[in-house]
Amino acid sequence: MLSVENIAVRYRGVTVLQDISLTLAAGRTLAVVGESGAGKSTLIGTILGLVRCSAGQVTWNKAPVRRCRPALVMQEPRSAFNPRVSLRRSVTEPLIAERRPVDENQMAALCRSLDIPTDLLERRPSAVSIGQAQRIGILRALIAAPPLVLFDEPLSALDAVTQKHTARMIADLQAKEGFAALIVTHDLGYAAAYADHIAVLRAGRIEELTTAQAFIDAPQTAYGRELRDAAFALGALERVA
Amino acid sequence: MIQLFLGLVLRAVVVLTGTALATFSLLWHAPGDPALAIALARFNAVVSTEVVDQIRVEAGLDAGFWTAFKAWILPLLGGDFGSSSVTGRAVWPDLVTAMSYTAPLALSGLLIGVAVSVPLAILAARRPGGWLDRSAVAVASLGAAIPTYWLGLLLILLFAVQLGWLPAMGARTPVHIILPALTLGLGVAASLTRILRSGILEARGQPFLPAIRRRGVASRAIERAHVAPHAAIPVVTVFGLELAFLLEGAVIIEVIFARPGLGTFLVTAIETRDFPKVQAVVILAALLFVTVNLVIDLIYRALDPRIGSRDA
Amino acid sequence: MRSVLALVSVFGALVLLGPILAPHDPTAIDIANRLSPPSPDRLLGTDALGRDILSRLLYGARWSLGLAFLVSLMGLALGTMAGLLAAQGGKLADWTVMRTTDTFLAFPDLVAAVVIVGVLGAGTGSLIFALTITGWMRYARVARGIGLSLQTRGYVVQARLAGLSPLSIARWHYLPSLLPSLTVVWTGMFARAILGISALGFLGFGVQPPTPEWGTMLLDARIHMRSTPLQMIWPGLAVVMCVLAINLAGDALRDTLAEQGLPE
Repeated sequence: MLSVENIAVRYRGVTVLQDISLTLAAGRTLAVVGESGAGKSTLIGTILGLVRCSAGQVTWNKAPVRRCRPALVMQEPRSAFNPRVSLRRSVTEPLIAERRPVDENQMAALCRSLDIPTDLLERRPSAVSIGQAQRIGILRALIAAPPLVLFDEPLSALDAVTQKHTARMIADLQAKEGFAALIVTHDLGYAAAYADHIAVLRAGRIEELTTAQAFIDAPQTAYGRELRDAAFALGALERVA
Repeated sequence: MIQLFLGLVLRAVVVLTGTALATFSLLWHAPGDPALAIALARFNAVVSTEVVDQIRVEAGLDAGFWTAFKAWILPLLGGDFGSSSVTGRAVWPDLVTAMSYTAPLALSGLLIGVAVSVPLAILAARRPGGWLDRSAVAVASLGAAIPTYWLGLLLILLFAVQLGWLPAMGARTPVHIILPALTLGLGVAASLTRILRSGILEARGQPFLPAIRRRGVASRAIERAHVAPHAAIPVVTVFGLELAFLLEGAVIIEVIFARPGLGTFLVTAIETRDFPKVQAVVILAALLFVTVNLVIDLIYRALDPRIGSRDA
Repeated sequence: MRSVLALVSVFGALVLLGPILAPHDPTAIDIANRLSPPSPDRLLGTDALGRDILSRLLYGARWSLGLAFLVSLMGLALGTMAGLLAAQGGKLADWTVMRTTDTFLAFPDLVAAVVIVGVLGAGTGSLIFALTITGWMRYARVARGIGLSLQTRGYVVQARLAGLSPLSIARWHYLPSLLPSLTVVWTGMFARAILGISALGFLGFGVQPPTPEWGTMLLDARIHMRSTPLQMIWPGLAVVMCVLAINLAGDALRDTLAEQGLPE
């Protein structure tokens, strides 16, 4: 279980995150929504241990979260791969780092689930499409079977059709592999459709944290209502009669 | 601004301390017995071990590294450069005499360099890619590849040996400075021309210039008000580099032309293992260098407001 | 990149084949034919001890070019390590490395080399040490600058998350991106090393006689400037041609990189 306890991040006198607490059970999905500048990327960095927090702690099963080797799927699929090495080399990097051999059967199974032709992996990142690159990014995140995967706006660089397709794949894989997913997104429709819980982040604080259904039905804060109504107006959420 | 200034000064102090420490530990760990070396240099003959031991105590060589370092650095902070381990005379007056030969050389070398490179760069940048530009760049590239000492020898060969127009060795008359200054100046000109030329071209390419031109501002006024300061930025930075070149060139040129300046002072001090003198030159040069770079840093920020707090 | 490689192979060939091409023994003294002008047998004439100048130039390439190559590569290795340490090692490492770099830059490198060689005693070992220790700072600055800019790239973040060791990250993700820019710096430093070795030789602090080295040859030739001025031309010309060639190759490489828009 991921446990974030009272963390705060200050950078050059500016408070970026304050008093953030949340939990995420194994195999479940938490979506963190909020507008740009709310501190979503900093939250991801803090959970991964890339950003040092000035207070509080982040643990996975009571141990420092880095020990469970959480994986990250990035917003910009292409820049997540070194342009000078083959995609296969990048994808297997988590295994190389732990000196584990590549399980070709597992690799093939993952490729099948993600609709990645295996010969694609021999290419450089510039020679695949954005959508393919993002699916390969997911492949890399899952190759070492981590218990926790963070998704930083995983769909926002993709076109509408690919978004739906990719979201579906992530959910199917999660059912199969059983990882806990923390998804940072500004797309409330995506969050509502796939997350168990939704946390609303605003100006570095968590405004509310409820189950997805409860949030869609009745947000508890004015800001939450605003977000939800905007999503309805834009058609990102469909009112269930 | 004040915070920035203090930060830069602090950095300069750290660098100077580092230089002092590096120099001192180099000399401290020099091979051979320094006391014996001093004795040999001082008496020019084989001496008894008692004399050597006496020198060892006298020069503070029997103490530990840090004691000896403190014994050197503390008076230095008060401006006392110590005394020569060979002659026993104070280092500072000799250093001043040496500088009185090096400063005019460096200055005239710089002047010649600027006098040659500025018109050349402006002419070259007038029509980039034209024959004038290409030949200026070619000459400058060639100049940058010519070692200072060889250029000095060639000038001696031509003007002193073959033509007999100018004196080459020593510094007895003011005329003696011409050949060494020319050697130094041509070297400076070679690097300065290239930097100045690309500086002018880059400044011309600034995105705001077409807009000003469209507003009807005369091109001469544009050159003066907008291109010149932009071209000046790389020039200012390069002066730090040129200073290195001047010092380096002066050392070698003085040896070639047998001028009794800092270069000769340093080389003689090294050869006689007169370490207090070596330390004095190194510290003085580092101080000069760090100060000039500090000033350059400040000018740099004044010229280009965008630079703000540029990190090294 | 191709022009630099071509140049290095030409220089390499010169260093390796020089002794084979040399018509005479470079140290064979022939007092009867001292200071002789160029002739069909002695294409560039002989020096004050009657040694064949062309042969000395060809053998000298081993020192003047070979040693410069070695020294500039050692500086490259040292500087790149320092720069990557500064970029990857956190604030304290960065501060320490950068202030050390400043300290070494606070002094003209050739003068520093003269002091170091002079104090340690002239010889090939101290020459290599002096030129390496005064020739790593530019690499360190470039490596640190690019290293810092790469640190936030997605693939470097991913590599750190995967738990890849800093050495592997440097090997796979930093070095390939650094290589082109470092090569440009290297051409400049190679040229400087050639100039430095010959200048030290000329000042009497470099490679010791009777080993043929271009700077030392100039020092010898200087005494006989009046009688045989040509003797002084050849070693200097050799230095100029090599330095010019390296500089041109470096310029060409820099222009190509600027067009491709690679980091720095």
